[in-house]
Amino acid sequence: MKQHLTRRELLAGAGIGAGALLVGPARSLAASAPTGRVAVARCKTYGPELVPAMEKMFDQIGGLSGLVKGKTVAVKINLIGVRWQRLGNAPMEETFWTHPRAIGAAVHLMGKAGAKKIRVVEGPWSTPETLEEVMLSMNWKPQDILNAAPNVEFENTNYLGRGKKYSRFMVPSGAMIYPGYDLNHSYEDCDVFVSFAKLKEHAATGVTLSMKNVYGTTPVTIYGEGAGVDEPSVRPHGGRGGTFHFARRLPSKSAPQQIDMSLPKDAGYRLPRIIAELNSARPVHLAIIDGVKAATGAETNYGSRPQAAVNPGVLIAGTNAVATDAVAMAVMGFDPMAVRGKAPFANSDSMLQLGENLGVGLRDPSKNDIAGVPISEVVFDYTAVRDKILADRKKA
Amino acid sequence: MALNAESVPMRWPAGPLDIACGEKAKGFTAETAEVLRIWQDPASLAIVQGTPVNCLVVSWAAGLPADADQPAALKPLIEKGRQAGLGFVGVIAGQADKPAAVASAQAAGLTAVAMDGGAPASAGIPVIPWNKASQVRPAAKSPVVGISDGIWPGLPQAASQAGGPTNLPWVDSNGAPVLIVRTLAPDKTVWIAFDPPQQKLPAEAYVLAVADAASYGAKWVISLDDQLRADLAARKQPAADVWKKLNETLAFFDQHKQSRTFQPDGPLAVVSNFSGPNWDAAEEAINLFPRIRQPFRVIARSRAMGASFAGLQAVLYVDQEAPDAALRQKLIAFAQGGGTLFVPSKWPNPEGLPLTAEPYLMFNLRKLGNGRLAVCKDAQPDPSDLVDDIQNVISHRNDILRLYNAPSMNFLYETSAQGGQGVIHLLNFSRRPGSDGPLFYVKEPHKSARLVSPELASPAELAFARQEAGGAELFLPKLSVYGAIELEK
Repeated sequence: MKQHLTRRELLAGAGIGAGALLVGPARSLAASAPTGRVAVARCKTYGPELVPAMEKMFDQIGGLSGLVKGKTVAVKINLIGVRWQRLGNAPMEETFWTHPRAIGAAVHLMGKAGAKKIRVVEGPWSTPETLEEVMLSMNWKPQDILNAAPNVEFENTNYLGRGKKYSRFMVPSGAMIYPGYDLNHSYEDCDVFVSFAKLKEHAATGVTLSMKNVYGTTPVTIYGEGAGVDEPSVRPHGGRGGTFHFARRLPSKSAPQQIDMSLPKDAGYRLPRIIAELNSARPVHLAIIDGVKAATGAETNYGSRPQAAVNPGVLIAGTNAVATDAVAMAVMGFDPMAVRGKAPFANSDSMLQLGENLGVGLRDPSKNDIAGVPISEVVFDYTAVRDKILADRKKA
Repeated sequence: MALNAESVPMRWPAGPLDIACGEKAKGFTAETAEVLRIWQDPASLAIVQGTPVNCLVVSWAAGLPADADQPAALKPLIEKGRQAGLGFVGVIAGQADKPAAVASAQAAGLTAVAMDGGAPASAGIPVIPWNKASQVRPAAKSPVVGISDGIWPGLPQAASQAGGPTNLPWVDSNGAPVLIVRTLAPDKTVWIAFDPPQQKLPAEAYVLAVADAASYGAKWVISLDDQLRADLAARKQPAADVWKKLNETLAFFDQHKQSRTFQPDGPLAVVSNFSGPNWDAAEEAINLFPRIRQPFRVIARSRAMGASFAGLQAVLYVDQEAPDAALRQKLIAFAQGGGTLFVPSKWPNPEGLPLTAEPYLMFNLRKLGNGRLAVCKDAQPDPSDLVDDIQNVISHRNDILRLYNAPSMNFLYETSAQGGQGVIHLLNFSRRPGSDGPLFYVKEPHKSARLVSPELASPAELAFARQEAGGAELFLPKLSVYGAIELEK
């Protein structure tokens, strides 16, 4: 047995009471982190109740007009994973992906609130296809989103896209893994950045909500398995796991490099930090979480945890990603203050805690302004669903 | 038995020539030699009695000293087999004296011989051309054309069933060469030869070997691994079970042979002469389109002038050399009429006016009447990127079929000449059912759909789940290896 552990090895060994032992800023910036306003709404279907529920929720967090009027808005949706693999017969939008009607509703309300331009963005894994093409392949009607408001466009941010160069976002509050990230121009060419996520769990990071959704902003031409060594590749190839989850390869040299190559190669260590850094470098102005229909278990149908398509019937929106995700965790039956070793962070650090330490936001719901339906009335216990699946399997 | 479309061939290694060839190979054992002797015994024909197998493919000459002993050694086997209604095909390989070997085969009562290269002028029995797929000889007189370099189908070793979250796993299939040879030799039956890996294989591996060839329109020259042959000869039950399943699969395809006349269909046509330097690019495209779930047709360049382009959204002209003036005119007219014509970078003097396009695309797009000309930017494009971008340019808006929940499956869509019937062959290269049953999106309305499979006791009627955005979905039960959806319009 190894006798002496370095500090980093100790950290990698994890969470062992984690919290206090976080590489990053010399001291936690939690004290200076902004509070957030978060609203919770009941919404059982993507039918006529959707727009009013969303509108009311936006009003409860201060209204969209002040945020988007006359502004260019980038809405990062979630179209994760291989689209050809569903969870049973359920369409992707009812499990892992942001639902097109929810996207359309948000776009419509932003347009109504006076947004100058709305660019719906996402880096669907490992493909250069336009977002229209990805949506068409799922039998969506992209025109419904494009026509939901004036000046709506799509951009696949997996690569350079319509930009001339990548935009650099430095982590202002102290790097833990990377000092900065190079992203598609869309994330700079916007006044308002919206993360529109799904109410999901994640095999490596416990949950995947509005903070984790920002992870998908990273272009695979730089951070993918097939990224260029020196410069970004022209075409996106491969997923981000090799670079981000396991540090099997480096990002293209043109991008900011890992601060220390001896850092742990454990996804449960790396991903929460990368996610917190990205949220610090490219802050979210409006977080929206689609929990009308979603899935338990992992965020794709490749997860090993018990998965089920579920209907929590809830929407959540907030002005701060950490605060919004904290409320979402509570809705999912988790403790937002959980640290490594406690569900849902059994094998990872808490990205919320790390975000808090970087000054992104506060995870303690009592420190944020929460409106709408009381959380206790909309709790949908993801663990209970998974436990039931396991129990049923045992019986079978 | 005469050589024809009903012949069901099986490799029958036996006799001194196979022993001599085996002795040159690594891992050849005394036990293997003994099995070859046992299979030389006419009593061994009991193995094929009552099965669909009706044509045994034996080694006849290989340019080895043992050539001289082989006819006499096999004589009892051949005589008893012929009495039982079996046909025999002798494989002539290596440096064998071909005219002499053909003559001795004829004298021994063989139905045909199979050899690479040209047939001797004096041949008095059918000579099956037995070539690599890239060198296939469609003009040969035989009713059967052989592909000698098939591959054992399945997932390559170390490949996972699911692939990754970003992609589908690679699969080894004989689909592409079979489709090409079918296209080049439409009036012939295609046989494809490949041997199993020398390891204990489950029955599903043999089922897949039969189905991969049969679903694409060929017949696998059945070849058993050494252990299975030994165990069959020894009448061991597990081997008998594998053999039974293999034969049930053969029988299944025989029962569903009505779709043999169907042709691959889809909104994209691949046009090539499938020859020389064009073989690789054409074969790889046809190999990859099933992986990206893009249905397609295959058109031989020599027949393209007479081929209908009706219903096509796009044509991929593969060949490095430009088509003749008449075909070029036809292809350009197709694009002007609203289609998309994909051509290689060498396409001289591209027609039309440049269009702006996504910068990543492998193609420079040009407006041509109501359609587009897509000129590849690279002389040697990455085949995977190429097919991806062909699909991107065609657009998923034009998808006629989509397959979900089946990462290790390929499908082939074929339709009847009148278009009223269709069949979707589904092959699972993992040989294991997935966590969910496959799910098909079908764009066009159909009157009925039913699933047939050797894995089902009876055909299963499939219900169309109409989709709000158009089209319908079909939910299939889990399939281990093969199933086919029969569609009626």
